[in-house]
Amino acid sequence: MQNTWLITGPPGCGKTTWIRDSFLKHQGTCAYLRLSGSEQDGLQQGHNAGIDSTWLQDQIPELLDLRTTAGAPRPTAPRLLLIEVQQFQPPTSSGPDGIDPQVLRQLEVFNLRPDRSLHFGLDPELPHEDVLDFKRLESWHRNLQGCVWDPNSLSSFWFELVNGAYGDVYRAKALMNMPDGRSFLCNWMVSQQSSQFLPLEAVEPPAGRPNRTSHLVVQGRALDPAGIESTIDDCLLTDDVLELHQAPLRDRQHALQSNG
Amino acid sequence: MERWALVSGLRGDLDLYEQIQSDLQKRRGTAHLFILGDMIGPHPKCDALLKRLCQPKRGDLHPHCIYGWLEEQLLSLYGYRGEAKADELQLQSDDSGVQQLRQAVDTEHLNWLASLQFGLIELDCGLIHGSSADVGDELQETTSPLILLDRLTRLDVNRLFTARSGRQFRLQLTGGQIRSRVKDHASEQLHEQPVPKRSVIGVGSGANYTLYDPASDHIEFLSVASRSGPSNRIKGFQR
Amino acid sequence: MTMSHAVISCLHANLAACEAVLADIDQQGIDTITCLGDLVGYGPQPNEVIELVRERSIPTCQGCWDEDIIDGLNACECSYPSQLAERRGHRAHHWAAERITEDNKVFLASLPMTLRRDRLLFVHGSPNSQHEYLLPDMSAFAALERVETAGAETLFCGHTHQPYVRELSEGSIRVSVQTNGNHNDSEQAMTLPMRRIINAGSVGEPRHGSTKATYVVHDDDSGAVSVVKWSTTSPKPVKPSLRRDYPRCSPGV
Repeated sequence: MQNTWLITGPPGCGKTTWIRDSFLKHQGTCAYLRLSGSEQDGLQQGHNAGIDSTWLQDQIPELLDLRTTAGAPRPTAPRLLLIEVQQFQPPTSSGPDGIDPQVLRQLEVFNLRPDRSLHFGLDPELPHEDVLDFKRLESWHRNLQGCVWDPNSLSSFWFELVNGAYGDVYRAKALMNMPDGRSFLCNWMVSQQSSQFLPLEAVEPPAGRPNRTSHLVVQGRALDPAGIESTIDDCLLTDDVLELHQAPLRDRQHALQSNG
Repeated sequence: MERWALVSGLRGDLDLYEQIQSDLQKRRGTAHLFILGDMIGPHPKCDALLKRLCQPKRGDLHPHCIYGWLEEQLLSLYGYRGEAKADELQLQSDDSGVQQLRQAVDTEHLNWLASLQFGLIELDCGLIHGSSADVGDELQETTSPLILLDRLTRLDVNRLFTARSGRQFRLQLTGGQIRSRVKDHASEQLHEQPVPKRSVIGVGSGANYTLYDPASDHIEFLSVASRSGPSNRIKGFQR
Repeated sequence: MTMSHAVISCLHANLAACEAVLADIDQQGIDTITCLGDLVGYGPQPNEVIELVRERSIPTCQGCWDEDIIDGLNACECSYPSQLAERRGHRAHHWAAERITEDNKVFLASLPMTLRRDRLLFVHGSPNSQHEYLLPDMSAFAALERVETAGAETLFCGHTHQPYVRELSEGSIRVSVQTNGNHNDSEQAMTLPMRRIINAGSVGEPRHGSTKATYVVHDDDSGAVSVVKWSTTSPKPVKPSLRRDYPRCSPGV
């Protein structure tokens, strides 16, 4: 018994959050796949940097990501497979016929055939508060793997980013490393009052630079990538300063271990 | 019992220091000696006192020293304090007073004096010559309790031991409160803040010193008969 | 006849924000304005902002940036809230120090640390120092001590870039005193006066959670205070020629 659903919607509509909640409710194996949507005139796709997949795997540790476990034997237990695609326009018809041909080709590679297609803004069972109709959208991203932020600087940068200091940002999503070993999902959507800062369950030891996924994806109009880059560079910790942050944390951990 | 002895204002008087050391021997039960500044002064035995403080004799209770107002003035005369040039001393004394202080202290002691700390925190007690606001801050039992509470708050200690005024006293904050209403763009907050139960202790100066027992919070104000005549006191150094 | 006066602070070389705020004050018919310093730093138009304050003869006390620029220090050494703020602060300082005219530096150097009108005291940080932050959550007794020791009833300050009004009232302190030779402890009580601290926030670099400039309007007679928030996003943007080599600082600039 397997349910394979295709979940589509425009940037920031809440796809990943809805998928996470569905997995948490599901009794049985959960599997996830993120596919690339198609670009349209003036509407750039947000870069698929693995932020969603990393976040979901952190929240649901037993989750199968088909992109990395495609060759693994199929489990026999009931399985919920949710396939996420960024898609600006609703499909022309419901059911398999409405699936974007480019997405169909990718599904064939995985030998998958969705038994349901759900689109944000079309299907009433999905939340629709954050479904926006974008006319033009630029996308920009930066890989931040191995980068660690000064926490207060991140908070200033994020405030500036979502308040228009670097162009009109409609959507920003990131995984950011803190010096204490935590990683945060930073999440902003123009239709929301405030940003989300959600800590990942997995925490690295405070010893140098972590090797996990860290990436920033920004979508909006009249973006100023050079400005964003230069501010980011002022926020990231050098090796020396990172060590200044981490050494006392390690000492404290050692003290706790030797006491306890 | 681990009592503390708190001494200040020796002003170069080695004999007085020896008297206090022998007084402490007789009283027994004193584990720590803190010297809250003004070790130096225009006294013929000043260099000998500084040497003794750095290299205690066998049987001496080991002294923990911090610097005081006079050390601050001397160090600034020698350029250890940036632009500051002992203006306060010049105002209170005259050129001969400044000269006498320079002559009393051999320059070989300067690095040691410059290495001394401004204050010490022991348990929940702050030990300082004046206050955290200024080394020259003269706190007395008649100082406004609001100022005393501020000085305690700055150091975040329950007891502040101070020496600059030369007075021996203990002032305990026993009660009271204040109402604070803060309005900002987001909210309005009303707080009643009680006066914390804290105290300021004046340890005295010269022959007057103080014993403190942290376990019982007991204070004893003591005095040794001073052999120092008025001859080595000069204008501007008298308090 | 209204006795309202306006207090502005932390202009930080943001000319567009200064012009917008002054126009807003003028529109209310308020002609007494006091400035709590930090005319320069962060923003791109230090000379223009200094000249605007000079032209309008606005009584101004010296801020920490004003002091440090003329002293040739590296930058205001007040603890920066973040690495980002520190790096920008240092860059903005060098940038501004090179561009502020000698005449304007002399003007900054001439500014007094405090201004006083009757029982109103105007300072940048605190009466003790241009660098001390009077934050809204600092000990109420310590806050009252700053106002009381300075002999004021109402203290106007800036420096934090976060506006607030704090009223300290119904205070008292009881003490018990023991002295050498007097074995009976004496008990005393002190009633504390009612005092106020009014922080004007910042015109040029607000940090209260939005990009709107803030200033305060105070009525001398009734004591009423209002914190005015003024959007500076609409005024004309900084000329590109000025921005070219100017280090980025804050949203809205």
